[in-house]
Amino acid sequence: MRIAEQERDDVLLRRAAKGDEEAFTLIYRRHQAAMYRFALRMTGNTWAAEEIVQDVFMTLMRDPKKYDATRGALGAFLYGVARNRVMKHLERLPREISLEEKNEDGTGSGIVLQDASTPAIWAEKRERMQQVRAAVLELPVEFREAVVLCELEEMSYEEAAQMAGCPIGTIRSRLHRGRALLMAKLEMLRGVPRRATAAR
Amino acid sequence: MTCEEFEAIGLGAERDESLSEVERVAAREHASTCSRCAALQDSWDAAGVELRAFAEDTAMAETPARVEMRLRQEFRTQHVTLKVRRTAVIAAWALAAAAVFAGAVSWVSWRRGGQRETAKQLKSAPSVTNSAENNAGSVPNTGAPVQGAGAVQQRGPAGAAVSQTLVAENELSGFTFLPGALVTDTDEAAILRVRLQRGALGALGLPVNEERAGEWIQVDLLVGDDGLPQAVRLPQ
Repeated sequence: MRIAEQERDDVLLRRAAKGDEEAFTLIYRRHQAAMYRFALRMTGNTWAAEEIVQDVFMTLMRDPKKYDATRGALGAFLYGVARNRVMKHLERLPREISLEEKNEDGTGSGIVLQDASTPAIWAEKRERMQQVRAAVLELPVEFREAVVLCELEEMSYEEAAQMAGCPIGTIRSRLHRGRALLMAKLEMLRGVPRRATAAR
Repeated sequence: MTCEEFEAIGLGAERDESLSEVERVAAREHASTCSRCAALQDSWDAAGVELRAFAEDTAMAETPARVEMRLRQEFRTQHVTLKVRRTAVIAAWALAAAAVFAGAVSWVSWRRGGQRETAKQLKSAPSVTNSAENNAGSVPNTGAPVQGAGAVQQRGPAGAAVSQTLVAENELSGFTFLPGALVTDTDEAAILRVRLQRGALGALGLPVNEERAGEWIQVDLLVGDDGLPQAVRLPQ
């Protein structure tokens, strides 16, 4: 039986729980990109992001009853699970050695640039993106989360507060401190990128 | 608005829906009058552009297709296992129910078959007929030929005596009481015609000619209500 594209998430989830693979696939396709982007921006690591997304949907598959439709949208629930996985990943990060290729400034190459009009522009943009990426990844986790949710995911403060499970004032203050740190890092990198990198 | 307040809420004032319009206007006004905060705002705007570029750059990022494949494989495995387990449980219950049902049916048919056989035996015995007039207590004493007939008496539900006596055609003669049988026991007796070897009569306490012990003969037995033969007769 074909599933209507606009079928509600909770309806799809009920069907998936009964063994409807198509319903589960539809849920996955609806939410995977957002989860992946969030995980990628938080970890800066494609392998970690991939693993986190897989973990999130595995949790949904194995225990669909964990999601309560009366408490919010499925997307928010999945964000919550993804956030927990990201935090766990970041907690054990110092003990892990990334197998990703490292650049000479120590940043990974997990995020691939798409604009490559000329080699010079491509190289310049790539370097700048690496700096922004490195600056975001160097933020403390709470500030990084606020910046990722509000600035990169473009969520409202209220939505971000819901995702992070904290009051809106906390998000605002984390964002304020995250911005200050980010600006300082970016200015430092913009002025003397190599020296700044060497200083780290 | 002070510089501290601007730093705290002014930078994102345009996007912060929780701020009132008055606060937004105050932030704008402060930025236009305070050069330090205006520089801060410019710096944040520049950082914002870079952040947006970074966001756009990763906006199309999607989970690799292999993750979907792995998840679908896992989904199939999990649900096939569940289905198999569920089917096995249902099959086990169905088998158990079928066994119980078959047992019940065979028990009922065995019971019915037994009853039918008994009824058939009673019906097929050519010497047995229904007669209401016979007296069950008319059996003479030991050793003497049986004058009366063996009887099966049933009491009706209202307590009235419904006398249904099964009597052999030639009920009035030929019965010989077996040694030790009591005459009073024959009140509710039945006559059964059986086929046995002559030698078996010896087991009933009757004299048997050893030479003809293997012969098959028909015998009428007067069976008491306790199920034991009381008297025996060799039909002509």
